Parts: sequence; structure tokens; C-alpha cells
Amino acid sequence: MIKPKDTVVVGGIGCSGSIHNDLECYGIHSLHGRLLPTAIGVKLANPNLTVIAAGGDGDGYAIGAGHFIHALKRNPSILYLVMQNGTYGLTKGQPSPTAVPGYEGNVELPFDAVMTALSIQDTTWIARGFSANQAQLTDLLKKGIQHANALKGFAFLEVLSPCVTYNDTYKEWRERVFDLDTEKTYSPKSRVMAFTRASELLSQGKIPTGLIYTGELKSLEQNSLTSTEPMALQDISLEANLSKYEPLLKDFR
Amino acid sequence: MATKLEQSSETSAVLKNDIAIMIGGQGGDGTLTVVNLLGRVFRDFGLNIYDARNVLSRIRGGHADGVIRASVKEIHSVGDEIDILVAFDEEAVLAGLSDLSDDAIIVFDSSKGPLSENAKRPGFQIYSGPFGNMAASALRRNIFKNTITFGILGRLIGLEDSMLRKVLTARYERRGKEALESNLKALELGLEFCSKNISGTRYLLPRLPNSNRILSTGNEAAAFGFLASGGRFFIGYPITPATDIMEWLQPRLPKFGGVVKQAEDELAVINMGIGAAYAGARVMVATSGPGQSLMTEGVGHAGEAEVPIVVAECQRVGPSTGEPTKNEQSDINHVVFGSHGEFPRFVIAPGSANECFYLTSMALNLAEKYQLPVFLLLDQALCQNSVSIEPFDIHSIAIDRGKLLSEEALAKLDVYKRYEFTDDGISSRSIPSQEGGQSQVTGNEHNEFGAVSTDRINRLRMMRKRMMKLELAKKDLPKGNNFGPITAKIGIIGFGSTYGPIIESMEQLAAERVEVRFHQIRTIWPLLEDDLHNFIDRLDKVFIVENNYSGQLANLIQRSFPGSDEKIESITKFDGSSFKPKEITGAVLAEIRSNVSA
Repeated sequence: MIKPKDTVVVGGIGCSGSIHNDLECYGIHSLHGRLLPTAIGVKLANPNLTVIAAGGDGDGYAIGAGHFIHALKRNPSILYLVMQNGTYGLTKGQPSPTAVPGYEGNVELPFDAVMTALSIQDTTWIARGFSANQAQLTDLLKKGIQHANALKGFAFLEVLSPCVTYNDTYKEWRERVFDLDTEKTYSPKSRVMAFTRASELLSQGKIPTGLIYTGELKSLEQNSLTSTEPMALQDISLEANLSKYEPLLKDFR
Repeated sequence: MATKLEQSSETSAVLKNDIAIMIGGQGGDGTLTVVNLLGRVFRDFGLNIYDARNVLSRIRGGHADGVIRASVKEIHSVGDEIDILVAFDEEAVLAGLSDLSDDAIIVFDSSKGPLSENAKRPGFQIYSGPFGNMAASALRRNIFKNTITFGILGRLIGLEDSMLRKVLTARYERRGKEALESNLKALELGLEFCSKNISGTRYLLPRLPNSNRILSTGNEAAAFGFLASGGRFFIGYPITPATDIMEWLQPRLPKFGGVVKQAEDELAVINMGIGAAYAGARVMVATSGPGQSLMTEGVGHAGEAEVPIVVAECQRVGPSTGEPTKNEQSDINHVVFGSHGEFPRFVIAPGSANECFYLTSMALNLAEKYQLPVFLLLDQALCQNSVSIEPFDIHSIAIDRGKLLSEEALAKLDVYKRYEFTDDGISSRSIPSQEGGQSQVTGNEHNEFGAVSTDRINRLRMMRKRMMKLELAKKDLPKGNNFGPITAKIGIIGFGSTYGPIIESMEQLAAERVEVRFHQIRTIWPLLEDDLHNFIDRLDKVFIVENNYSGQLANLIQRSFPGSDEKIESITKFDGSSFKPKEITGAVLAEIRSNVSA
């Protein structure tokens, strides 16, 4: 049971950025594109917290793309939820990095975040859900949070979430999604298989969904933190630390 | 082997209470090693030292030099003139030429040919030898030329041969037998060269009782001040001249349960810092001007969301990439005014390594007490030059976390509002994991609960709540330090690394019978008007000394003192180097004498 008091939802900027407002846990609304560094800062300061970063695809794959790559590489134990809809809805429908050619004058092929995540060797949990398949999405959310809360690393969950106002892709995506969770021969534990199968499906015009990859690697917290006492809660008073500070004066001689 | 040179010609030796030695060559020539060795000797003599390194922003090659100055008194500048120059090539002589005293001693490595006439002045005493070639033929490596010159320097300033061996041994014994033996042999080559070519000791240095003084750069002092004040989370991205802070903390913070995180860019640095500070850690980040340009949006976010964070801004020559390793103070406008919108921020400016320690500690308290971003404004010379100072008084540190709530206090509240309107503009702060403290923290305009709001009345109240901190904090912000007689009619205002040169310039001006009072300003924003009035009002003329083109500090002060234009005079320097005391003295004298004659 995760308590609201121990949960922080970090919102980005865009329509998705109001997600934390409707929850009873702690919420922090970051700058556009900066929700991942903000969430990583929260997690490192207090790894006992459940940290969920939730933003849109413009936030994560355009203005925040640098942080996305490095979060994948760094493996912080947070759930990163991207609500992907191929458009900048809040500013009324400009093409986002995941827009298809032809949408509002877009001429570029869509950015595929799952393929990007698979190509980074440090990733430990990659999934894609669809807002039209809520049973699967609930399951993935739960698994992603469990992965993060076990301090196993970064749980990346892209959610196909059509913008019904500016880019209603429900009909198209219902036809294109391919649920890997139901494919018996598929194993999310093999990066090679994940890469191969996801590439094949993409070349067939399909969008793979489900738990796509899961692996094991040390998480950011396991690699960086040296104390079991979270930095946010440590006793930093002078009295408690003075005897350990004094020897440091020798470094100045 | 080496003759006892000191005994043969003591008569020509001059006692120096203050000496400056420059070592110059190409990056990789080992110039800084000689500076470090001399530093050890001077400290053993109980002298105060100040050293400055002039290096290019590249790993090897290009002109590089280091200056080390030793004095019987505390010094915070390289001073006016170089007494001895060790030059590994002609470029090093030409680079140092304008800094050399009229009777400077030059120890010149003539391996690549004799020194040209245009690098000589009539009063110079030049000792040339093919030190690089000597090292290469005797020790198979050219690099040992630096130890050869260390031997020559030792003789020139009257150090016993045994002491030179002791210092070399202390440095090289941990690096293996071969390194130590080669260096000791190089030392003998230097001593032999002296015996044959230099008739005696030139300068004698005083020896004082051993002091307990320490040696620190501003960066190291700021880093220690952060750690000792409970700072546990530091985030940075490599950038000169700020990186040393990260490097000092890297091996030490983990021993205290803390973390140094090198992020992918400064956008990540400031936002990771905001996330961690929001979660309850004491956080500092450090950068230079280019990094600050990327952090500016984040600083505004911290101001609006009321998240406490300290940003050490280590200024260098700008704009753009500018000159990464050179000194400038041109980011005042940037840290005081940078950002869209309006929010409160403090800009604190230490003037010495000591103050870097204490004011970093204070900045952390101010950030938490007022829940806003605090800039610690440093500059390259302050950041990276080493200086002898009194040991840091760790006991004096007081940690104030402001209105950070405890779980017990939260339990007593009927309702918790993160941005509650209060008389002092500061609301209580909860941190995640505290029951009942759940709230929304946001950079959108918000109501008392942190819910997004565009209500006009709310906007007015929230803006006033945040902005009033600037006025209310003035009682807590560090006042300026005043030096010099209260009767003086001439004043100088400066901050950061100009502190050292200004103090020395005051002595020079006193010798010219010009009484000067100096206000070392330590809070640049918000300006402490009362503090400045007390200083400025009784003066006829005020010189504002700063390392930038447009006189940014002077402009800032003039805005607060309408009609003061006549009284205020700017002294600026923007060539990438620090002020020499005599440059300030000259500018002040020129101005007051031109007024007298007019």
C-alpha cells in the first residue's frame, strides 16, 4: 500500500501537466521539459518516496529530449509516464515529435521513444500502453511503480493517449496497436528479441504495446547513495557532525 | 658537490618582506609544480602566500604561468610587480614583461636559443642556461628542467640546499624511487649551475614563527562551507572556473551520506536541485556565466515556486564562451535582473576565501529562511587563487532552516496551505513523507493551496507576498565591510576579488597622503540602501572598482542614489586580468589631482 504522504507526482507543462492537481499526494509542477531532472532530484533526496513523473510527448521528446536520453541512461527508480498524442494540444494543435507526416504540415517521421529506449543499454523497464485498453494500462502502471519502488531503476511507460480535440487517433491506433503481452513466443527479458520484434512491427505499420523489455542493472540510487538515511531527513545539525568536519581542515594545509 | 653559495656573498642579498615569483612556459612544462614547491617553502617560513595561475583552456600547450607571492602580512592579490621570473621560453618573458619590476631577475631556459634583445630591459639581471637540454641529456627527460630551476630559485632566495631536498622529497617520495631520484639529481644540476654562474643570494626572506594558517581557494572554501552547513546534495556540470567546487565535494560528500551528481547540462542541474530542495535536502549548485544562462529559467521557477536553492555563480570573461580561464565581474546584471517576470532573489558576494566559507553558510540559511534562490556571486580570481588565511571557525556555523515544518507541527494544523498569506510573506514548508503536508508546488501562479489560479486579486496578493521578502530580508543580509579612517573624504566601493588589490591600494594612497575609506559590498541584491548611505553620504567622491566594461555595480548603485552621478566615478578593467593595486591608486590619484588642478 503506497501512502499519499509518501508519493510525489511531478507534472510537466502541457495538458498532461495538471495531472498532479487531481491527486491527494504531494505534487510539484516542473518547468516545460524539466520534469525528469526534477523527479530525479526528489528521488535522490529521498529514495523512500514513490516518485512518478508524468508529462506529454512534446515535453519529454522535444524540449526535454536531452533529459529523457540521460534518464534512460542513468536508471533512476522512478516511473516516467508519457502521454503521447502526436500534438501540442494546449497550444491548439501544432505537430509534436510523434506527429505523423501530413499532420499540420509535418514532414518528419514520428520519433519512436520505445525504440530509443531499447537502444540504450542501461534501460531496465520499457512499456507502452493505450488509453483504449485500460485493463492493460492499469497493469502496466502497477508493474512500473513496483519496478521503481523496488529501487530496480527507471520504469518508462509511454501511453498512447489521443487528443480528442486536435488529433483524434483512436480509430487509427485501434487498428495499428499490436499487444506483445498476448504473443506467447515473445519474451520481454531479451533486449535482442525486443529490438527485433519492435522493428518488425514498426516496419509493418504496427505499434507494439505491452511490457516490451525488462532487465536488471544497478539503479541510480544504488550507484550513488551511500547512506540508508535519505538526504532529506538526515540530521545535519552542527552538533551531530562537528567531529567529522574538523579533520577536513587538514585538507587545507 | 654544490658550494655554499650563501656564505660567499651575503653582502649583495636584500631582505624582502614581500616577494613575487612568476614561472612561465608552455602548458605541460611543469610551471605549476614549481609554484607548489615554493608554496611549501614559504609556508614553512611562516609567510602568507597568494598564488594565481594563468592557464589556457586546453589540456597541454599554449602559454601558461603561475605567480606566487609571499609576504609577512595577509595578502589577497598578486601585487604590483614580479621580482623573479623563471621562463622556459621567450614567450614567457614577453608575457610577463609588463609585470616585471625594473630590476627583475630572469632565469631563462635557453635550450631553444638565447633571449632576444626585445625581451630585455636595462635593469634586468638575466641568468640563461639550457635547462631543458641539461635535463634531457642527464635525465633523458626535458621536464626535469622545472626542478633544475627550483634549485636555482632556492639559491637566489637564500634557501639551504637541505631544505630544497626536503621539500622535493616530501613531494616525490610517494611517486616512486625513480621519480624522487631523478628530481633530486635535477636539483643538483640546478645547484651546480648556480655555483658556476651566479655569484650569490639575491634576496633573503624573513622567517616567522609557524602559524596555524591554512591555504584555500574561494572555491574550496565555498565547498567546505556548504558541507559544514549541512549541505548534502550538490549538482553540477563541468565549467571553468566553477568545477573545483564539484571536485572538492566529490570525494567528501559521500562520507557524510551526501551525493555529488554531475548532470547532463545546466538545465538538469538547476531542476534536479529544485527537486531535491523541494524534497527537503540542503542543496547548492555551481556554474559560471554560460551555465547560468541555461539556469536562468530554473532560478525564476524557484522564485515563483518558493523553493530554497543556492547557486554559486563563478564569473569569467563573457559573453558566449568568452575566456573561460580569465577573470571578470560582468554577470552582475545577469544575476540581479536575469529572468522573465519578477521574483525575489538575493545576490551575496564574498570578497575572500574566508568569506566564501562563511557567506556560503549564510546563503544556505537565507535561502531556506526566505524560500527563494540565493546567488553566491564569485569571480575567477576569487574562485581559483590560493591564499593564506585563518582556519575556518566551524563552531561559528549556525543552521537555520526557517519555517520548515515538523510532523508534530503539521498534525496540529486544521488545514495546511503551502502558500499561506502571512505577515512576512513566508509560508510554512512541508516536505514529502510528512502526513498532512500534501500540497501542490508550482511555477504557475497559484492560490494559497498551490492550485493554479489567474484570479486578479490573488495575483496581486501573491506577487506582494513574494516581493516583500526583498524588503524584509534586509535586516538579515550581510552588510558591507568598512576599512580606512572615518574622516576620509574619498571612498572606494568594490566586491569579490577586487578586495585584495583595493586594500593594498589604500596603503599606497595613504603613502601619498590621500585618506581613503573602502566599503566592501557583500550584498549586491537587494542593495542595502541604509548601509550604502552611511558610507557614501559623508564622502566627496566615491570610486566604484569592478572588472567589467560598463560599470555594472556603479550603475546599480547610481539607480538607488539619484543625483549621485557627480560623486560616483567608475574604475573598470576588462582585459581578463585582476586589478593591480597600483592601477587603482593611479586612477584615484589621476582623478583627484585633475580636480585640484581644474
